[in-house]
Amino acid sequence: MTETPAKPKPRPAPESLPYWQAAKEHRLALPKCEDCAQFWFPPSRTCPHCLSTNFSFQTVSGRGKVFSFVTFHRVYRPAFAGDVPYVVALVELEEGPRVLTNILGMSHEDVCCEMPVEVVFDDYDEDISVPKFRPLAG
Amino acid sequence: MNAFTQSPQIEPSRELRDTCAIVGTATSRLGKVPGTSSLDLMVEAIRNALDDAGLKASDVDGVLCRGPDDSYSHHQLVAERLGVNARFSTTLTNGGASQIMSVALAVMAIRFGMANTVVCGFARDTWSRTHANEEVRVRNETRPESMLAREFGPEYGYYGATAAHAFGATRHMHLYGTTRDHFGEIAVAFREHALRNPQAQMKKPLTMADYHAGRLIVAPFGIYDCSLRSDAAGAVIVTSAARAKDLRQPPVLIKGFGTHNNTRGWFADDNMVVTAAKQAGEAAYRMAGLGPQDVDTAQIYDCFTYMVLTQLEDYGFCKKGEGGPFVASGALRLGGALPCNTSGGQLSESHCEGMLQIVEGVRQMRHTYPDHRQVKDAEIALISGHGGNQVCHSTLILGRA
Repeated sequence: MTETPAKPKPRPAPESLPYWQAAKEHRLALPKCEDCAQFWFPPSRTCPHCLSTNFSFQTVSGRGKVFSFVTFHRVYRPAFAGDVPYVVALVELEEGPRVLTNILGMSHEDVCCEMPVEVVFDDYDEDISVPKFRPLAG
Repeated sequence: MNAFTQSPQIEPSRELRDTCAIVGTATSRLGKVPGTSSLDLMVEAIRNALDDAGLKASDVDGVLCRGPDDSYSHHQLVAERLGVNARFSTTLTNGGASQIMSVALAVMAIRFGMANTVVCGFARDTWSRTHANEEVRVRNETRPESMLAREFGPEYGYYGATAAHAFGATRHMHLYGTTRDHFGEIAVAFREHALRNPQAQMKKPLTMADYHAGRLIVAPFGIYDCSLRSDAAGAVIVTSAARAKDLRQPPVLIKGFGTHNNTRGWFADDNMVVTAAKQAGEAAYRMAGLGPQDVDTAQIYDCFTYMVLTQLEDYGFCKKGEGGPFVASGALRLGGALPCNTSGGQLSESHCEGMLQIVEGVRQMRHTYPDHRQVKDAEIALISGHGGNQVCHSTLILGRA
């Protein structure tokens, strides 16, 4: 018998290390410009809104809504063979940026655009926690 | 955005309209071509295109040929095999938008004295690389993690172009009530065209019931929403309209072109439902002095069914959001209001990253097809190229001389 291969872990780029460090503490933190006050994603060292390099990672609400989503039926990597069909969604956060994620805690058939969601953290191991989303409680 | 960050409207040079023509075109063998390489196929298509034009390789002084993305400086390898020292030569790397860009670049080079006769081509050997046998299939599906994105994708099980484009399909369905029946009509129409094309990779009829019975890949896309894996090459030869008059074929005039790239990203703004075809098309229409009402046939980049539907809206053939009813009317069929992908497209003829769309546009403008393949009385063809990370777009408008 062969073991199911492990799911790929993120291999953080230098500029996204603070994002993954915050995730490990179960906080969703994104770069925020200290000049124009806008958030952006994915992390980079220059604000794409005003090209300022004056920024810091700020914890966000973790709430948003599903902008769009797809449901994987095909197994592209053996590690996901036990998960199909699974949803990959683009969530638009209250603070503006859109993030790619999985939707947990509901059937793939019930996911819809504009659905309110909140972040939840999936602990892969002691070093890596991956932000995912579930339907907003209440 | 303020007035300084928004670029002013570009007016493409009407001076370039009708200055150049496509005088030769051809493909290689298409579909499953075992024992070949993308370079073999590229040279095969160019030889056939030169024969078509009545030209020799020594007449060519420009080579704008692209191959698989891991093929370094593909144009040099092609020119070497043709025995040509090219005055003007490069490989464009803008995905499926590259092939029309190469034709536009050829026109500019010819107009400004950098070349006389330019061959533009694209070749791929995707079927041989990924599906020809078990060894290449396994190698393709078990690529090491180091070849995948580092983060913000693989950890969520997010892979591949099918999923990326499917995000747009879901959003369009949500906003406008578009359905899988609409996508299915595109697949069925193009398959029907492919059955009229002896070169086409797909030989079996496809019904709407077959479409819905096809296995889901990344919903809302099933297998018949996805383009083919093909070994395929195509080429066109561009020269000045003046020189074209002395050559073998009726010249097909290059009337307009335009490009646009929504490089803020596929996931940004409304880019997945309003593509860069909008601005690229507007530029091409202005250069040509034409509008959507003047187009007799459209050859649209059909990597996935949904991409045809949204581009038809962006090109103004119907309003935004009305692409579903427009395709359901039968408009895309040969004999319909806007015959589209009349050789079968990438969904059913072969996937050659938009190059075969150019070849088919040229052939429709020559009026040399038998009646069952010819768009009757077609005078103007619009061709689209789409690619990169779903955001790069180019448009070409051709006309009969």
